[in-house]
Amino acid sequence: MVYIGTDLIAAWGLNLEFGVTGIPNLAFIVFVACGAYTYAVLTVGPAAQFGGAETYIIGGHVPAFFAIVIAVIVSGLLGVLIGLTGLRRLRLDYQALTLLIISFVASGIVGADSNIFNGLDGMSLIPDPLQFVSSQSGRAWLYVGVVAAMCVFSVLLVRRFTGGPMGRALRAVRDDEEAAIAIGKSILGLRLLVQGIGAALAGLSGVLLVGFIGGWSPSAWQYVETLALLTALIVGGRGSNLGALIGTVLLLGAFLQGVQYLPTIGRPDLIFDLGWVVVGGLTIAFLFLRPQGILPERRPRYASGPQLDEPAAATTEPAAGSAGDDDRRARRQAALSAVVAAEARRDPAESYEDVLVVEGIARSFGGVHAVADATFTVPRGAIVGLIGPNGAGKSTALGIISGFITPESGRVTFAGRDVTGVPANRRARQGLVRTFQLTHEFSRLTLLENLLVAARRHRGETVLGALAGRRYWHAEERVNLERAHQLLELFSVSHQANKLAGTLSGGQKRMLELMRALMLDPKLLLLDEPMAGLSHAVSELVEQACLSLRDAGVAVLLVEHELAAVERLCSNVVVMAQGTVLIEGEMAALRRSKEVQEAYFVG
Amino acid sequence: MSADNGHVLRIEQLVAGYGDTPVIRGVDVEVPAGKLVVVVGPNGAGKSTLLKAILGLVNITGGEVMLDGRPITRSPLEDLARNGVGYVPQGDAVFDSMRVRENLEMGGYLLDKALRAERLEQALELFPDLRHKLKRYVGTMSGGERRMTAVARAMMLAPRVLLLDEPTAGLSAALTKMVLTEQARMLADRGTAVLLVEQKAHAALEQADWAYVLVQGEVAMSAPGREVLEDPDMGEVFLGGGSGLLADAEPAG
Amino acid sequence: MRLFIETIGFGIFSGSLISLGAVGFTVQFAISNVLNVAYGAFITLGAYFGYWLVNDAHLNFWLTVPIVAIAIGALSVAFNRLLPRPLLRRGASFVAILIGTVWAGITLQYTIVSIVGPSTFTYALGNGKTIDLWDFVLTNTQLIIIGGTALLMLGYHGLLTRTQLGQAMRATSVNPVVARSCGIRIDRITDVAWLISGMLCGATGVVLAGTVSTFDSTLGTTFLVYMIAAAVLGGIGQPYGAMIGGLVVGLTTQLTAAYLSPAYEDVAAFVILVVMLLAWPRGLFGSAAAAGRRLVG
Repeated sequence: MVYIGTDLIAAWGLNLEFGVTGIPNLAFIVFVACGAYTYAVLTVGPAAQFGGAETYIIGGHVPAFFAIVIAVIVSGLLGVLIGLTGLRRLRLDYQALTLLIISFVASGIVGADSNIFNGLDGMSLIPDPLQFVSSQSGRAWLYVGVVAAMCVFSVLLVRRFTGGPMGRALRAVRDDEEAAIAIGKSILGLRLLVQGIGAALAGLSGVLLVGFIGGWSPSAWQYVETLALLTALIVGGRGSNLGALIGTVLLLGAFLQGVQYLPTIGRPDLIFDLGWVVVGGLTIAFLFLRPQGILPERRPRYASGPQLDEPAAATTEPAAGSAGDDDRRARRQAALSAVVAAEARRDPAESYEDVLVVEGIARSFGGVHAVADATFTVPRGAIVGLIGPNGAGKSTALGIISGFITPESGRVTFAGRDVTGVPANRRARQGLVRTFQLTHEFSRLTLLENLLVAARRHRGETVLGALAGRRYWHAEERVNLERAHQLLELFSVSHQANKLAGTLSGGQKRMLELMRALMLDPKLLLLDEPMAGLSHAVSELVEQACLSLRDAGVAVLLVEHELAAVERLCSNVVVMAQGTVLIEGEMAALRRSKEVQEAYFVG
Repeated sequence: MSADNGHVLRIEQLVAGYGDTPVIRGVDVEVPAGKLVVVVGPNGAGKSTLLKAILGLVNITGGEVMLDGRPITRSPLEDLARNGVGYVPQGDAVFDSMRVRENLEMGGYLLDKALRAERLEQALELFPDLRHKLKRYVGTMSGGERRMTAVARAMMLAPRVLLLDEPTAGLSAALTKMVLTEQARMLADRGTAVLLVEQKAHAALEQADWAYVLVQGEVAMSAPGREVLEDPDMGEVFLGGGSGLLADAEPAG
Repeated sequence: MRLFIETIGFGIFSGSLISLGAVGFTVQFAISNVLNVAYGAFITLGAYFGYWLVNDAHLNFWLTVPIVAIAIGALSVAFNRLLPRPLLRRGASFVAILIGTVWAGITLQYTIVSIVGPSTFTYALGNGKTIDLWDFVLTNTQLIIIGGTALLMLGYHGLLTRTQLGQAMRATSVNPVVARSCGIRIDRITDVAWLISGMLCGATGVVLAGTVSTFDSTLGTTFLVYMIAAAVLGGIGQPYGAMIGGLVVGLTTQLTAAYLSPAYEDVAAFVILVVMLLAWPRGLFGSAAAAGRRLVG
């Protein structure tokens, strides 16, 4: 029972890291061991009688309760530390490999040390935290009770992070890092947080285990133990806490502990070794046949949204002649403006004239100058077009402005502040929001969640907010939910709200990009070919959204190849060719310009 | 046009795209031997997707691709190469960490030694500039030289038809002209059927024997290159966006 | 001074063994983009197969090396066709494939333990003559192995640069689409890569097991750490980097063992790895272009 309980705590910790946040932590068992060792080192008295060391150098005799707390904290900190070194932006399997090696070597280090950890002999005579209970059987039962209570505590804690706004943000980081940055999430911060909590839970698991057994040996935490937990998640269903429970109980509880009670065949331990063979086969079978596990990640379902005051905004209404069309368009425009303007941020106090000033930015890739000395501005509340032939450097310029690409020279000033060195996620939070030309959706979140996750400064996305629970962020969530539903309604995709974003069509994903950006309440919206591949009706919606933004005082920088649309929308158009600004002005005038014609035609 | 007389490559009513959304919606294209056929059109019209569909790199949901009258629809790329379809993908279609000679030898991977040497000599006759650079690593060469290497590599198998995907992307005006006249045009004149997809419509149309104007995945115009070039609506197609040829386009200036 | 030179000698020996394995690990990754952790278990399997050939079938040690190499090479090709390739075709993530290979390795390792039991094994080999060359104290066997490894590496270099197959391997690694448009069947090239990888792995397994005093079923898994450190040090996917990386790791670990404590050998390899990942994530020989394709995304 105790074993299952401690395994469960660890499994939930790992689920938070791997299942929900996508950190391939193959060194997880190291944190379990860290908790166990810390507890052991702190509580074992001096001159304990275990082999080798005559006097125990630390010999703290620290009271069990404090030792437990310290052990958990130390594990958590180790998690953050390893996270800082191991989780740089490398490909995920590379990270996994690094962590696997950390796991190998950590057991090597501890095995090699005979002073503190007593090397390969391990630690023994570790005091039971429940020493004060005199009866042996009473102590065992009480221990089961304590572990059960800790399990309940852990799952409640983990649920605070895997559910609600926090869990949504973590899953977003897992599904698409770039898009997560674009909606203002701090990838490293969230990862380290999760790594810390996961490791702390691992530590707790280790403490409880070592306190129960009273001894600890390095062979108990080989890297395969991490993989056993991982398998429990894969079998049970990663991302789902209940799945983790099922997987752990089935695999670790019933099976691996169970084999100990099977009759011995051949030599001792043979059954145990065969157990690993079966588990390995099982994992591979699941990877092939049911990669999502027994109990797939649950998609939160939200009640369908409140209806808009004017249901006419939906496209269900038959288009009756051009007068009806115009009417419909006008009403939709009004509805859009209402949604956008409700949240638009006006900074009347701020004194800048241009919301964006780009001065002399340059960047080359492999000797080719993608952008070379480009300079232009976007006034407050204006829609500015950025056009040019393929390879003119438009997307690179957008990348530099939004902070995804570091310029080699030049300066970007946003809302009166120099943001050249500011990371992309912070720019997004300040209201400099971009969309992607190739859509980046969070594929395992629903369409609705994709919008909700973008909401700015959600109270539920801070550590304390997540801990405080639903009541703390509920009201805010409701406001966001309403807003998201309004947007879905306006873009006529309400019926898709609970569909996984990965299964949407190309056009719907493109609308998702725009709606998600709108959820961030931008001051300046950078749109990278928002109309590419969209039907005429939907393109019109995008145009209307741009106009609503302008009316609400939000500026738009529009990269678009549909020049007719650019002409309708933009007061000023910047033409780029070969990495520099060729000319700027009104579209109608540019059309007649020989330079522009040559840029487009001759290249 | 009847049968496949003279047409090396023939595409009939091709429908193709990514996932469930078709980008190419029923396109017919014919490429005769010794002719330079270009496909032009505004961004997002599906030009590159058309090439990828011919090569089986995207999902085909309808229509046929015929090479010398035999269907090759959905054939894997390596089989097409063996059957006489040469392909120069967009961007860096070279092996950067290998020398020019090695790039060309890879192009002739399927040939025996003697034939490979012969073709290498022919390729160098086509592109004499490469002769002195055989030992250079392609990664250290300029954009124009890299394109030249890529095209020369594709010519090693003496393809019946050569597919070029925007070979001038990122090149200056002078280099663009060089690539189109000294590479695409010349290869066609020497008997290869060349299908060229090009963003820089003006320069490409000047060289083209025949041109297809692709708009929103459909052929909007099919005529000799000169005629397309002189068509008064063409400026509108490119500068007016995808709706340029349609009636609802707004008057330009 | 004597200790130092002795250590250097032994470092070169162990380094050449690590190189052998690391090149195998990295060549397969360069072409098929799969990090194969089951590689460690392949080495163990090679060691036990060699043990059987030498001790039970009484074969000459030097004859067992190529036999085991071929056997493990074939196993490696079969393994790729059974697990990584189908998983890649199904669009599985790189992490899923990695986990698959880790588990395949564990399954194999415990299958071996189930059959042969947990005790340690020793090849029935004489110690051979010791050659004392200006303070370098190495056995005959060790010298032959150093020489053999050097020859194999030269041969591999020749394969990559002088033969058409080697060129095709490089081409596939650099640009698979263009390679296909040259008519190269890249599935076959991948098979060749796994074959070479498996053969080097089998050879490493026999030689390693034949030169350590005793070994058990964890032999390959432990050695894997050194090989990965060497491969990462040289820039993963870069064969020449792996060769140099192997020597560096070999020398460092031996020096650590000699001057600090034998227990810290693993730690030395690990420190190299971490410093490397922090300072030059692309490795010493990883070009920017290669890193762009392999590490990002």
